[in-house]
Amino acid sequence: MKRNTLVLGVVLVILAVFGWAGWANWKYRQQAAERRMADAAKGELVAATGGDPQQALTPLVGKPAPEFSLEDLSGKKVSLSSYKGKAVLINFWATWCGPCKLETPWLVDLRNQYASQGFEILGVSTDDIDRDDSKAFDKEKKEIAGFVQQMHMPYPVLIEGDKLSKPYGGLDAMPTSFYVDRSGTIVAAQMGISSKDEMEGNIRKALKSGS
Amino acid sequence: MLVTGALALISLAATGQVPASDKPARTGSRVDAVQYLYPEQVTVPSGKASPVALHFRVKEGLHINSNKPKDEFLIPTVFSIPEASGVRLERADYPAGKEFELPVEPGTKLIVYTGDFAIEARLVAQPGDHMVEAKLRYQACDANVCLPPKTITVPIDVVGK
Repeated sequence: MKRNTLVLGVVLVILAVFGWAGWANWKYRQQAAERRMADAAKGELVAATGGDPQQALTPLVGKPAPEFSLEDLSGKKVSLSSYKGKAVLINFWATWCGPCKLETPWLVDLRNQYASQGFEILGVSTDDIDRDDSKAFDKEKKEIAGFVQQMHMPYPVLIEGDKLSKPYGGLDAMPTSFYVDRSGTIVAAQMGISSKDEMEGNIRKALKSGS
Repeated sequence: MLVTGALALISLAATGQVPASDKPARTGSRVDAVQYLYPEQVTVPSGKASPVALHFRVKEGLHINSNKPKDEFLIPTVFSIPEASGVRLERADYPAGKEFELPVEPGTKLIVYTGDFAIEARLVAQPGDHMVEAKLRYQACDANVCLPPKTITVPIDVVGK
């Protein structure tokens, strides 16, 4: 009798623990599914490009922004060093990039809001440019200019941003933004569209830092 | 003993049953957003336009613009066949695409391809066996970021009889 009770007790304990294990396993899977959905919302290009593109930007934060000199749409050379003393948002974009188009009105608003405090945006187009074919070159520049005009971008727009892919972490996907403080140090970097609030927070950080 | 064995099983059940597919996918660098699936070979009557359905797959989580994207600046998906391939593309019929809203701007609708899609190409082949290196140009994005436009090779062995 005693032995039967003991066996019954052990069986009940085992069943209870199995029940708990099943529940724990279900819960784990549910959480994993939620994580996957959250990751998907953040951007599947992380998987598509191999590695985490955002991580490629991280080592640049806290370091001096790599110097560059690119042409604007009028052919004038514009260098980053000429903006020293100002907070600068280097925004890499392209005409074919939907999220870039969505964030551009935010950029325009923020630029107009903070320009008086010493803030500027350098919009760097990564659209293909073919300098060997003058007709194609004119057409490509015209397309970029059309976008700039349509979006009423009041800040300098530079071309051939692809030339900066190596020093700026690969520029694997657009939009990609670097927030540079008044001393020329990158204080934040963002790949992909975030939110206007987040952009504003980074602009304020760049304005406060390095002065 | 019985209890120890059971606990070991339970421990496995609770923690060890995470299938490999639950782990985030990490693929090689610069993976193509679009993969050509089939057919590898088609036989068509020579000199006569013949419809051939070409099947593609867009990587999960990504989308590419349809052949007729709504925005003038977006790059459409276009199938082409190089000249002097022995095969001429008379026409390509593209799927209509699906509406897609960016989470940050739900009101803006894009027309895109996701998952599997097929393009019906009307091919006119000269007599003989032609290894055609057709092209598909597309531009891929996810909800937040976009990859640069890309052109992939679509290899098809076209036999004109």
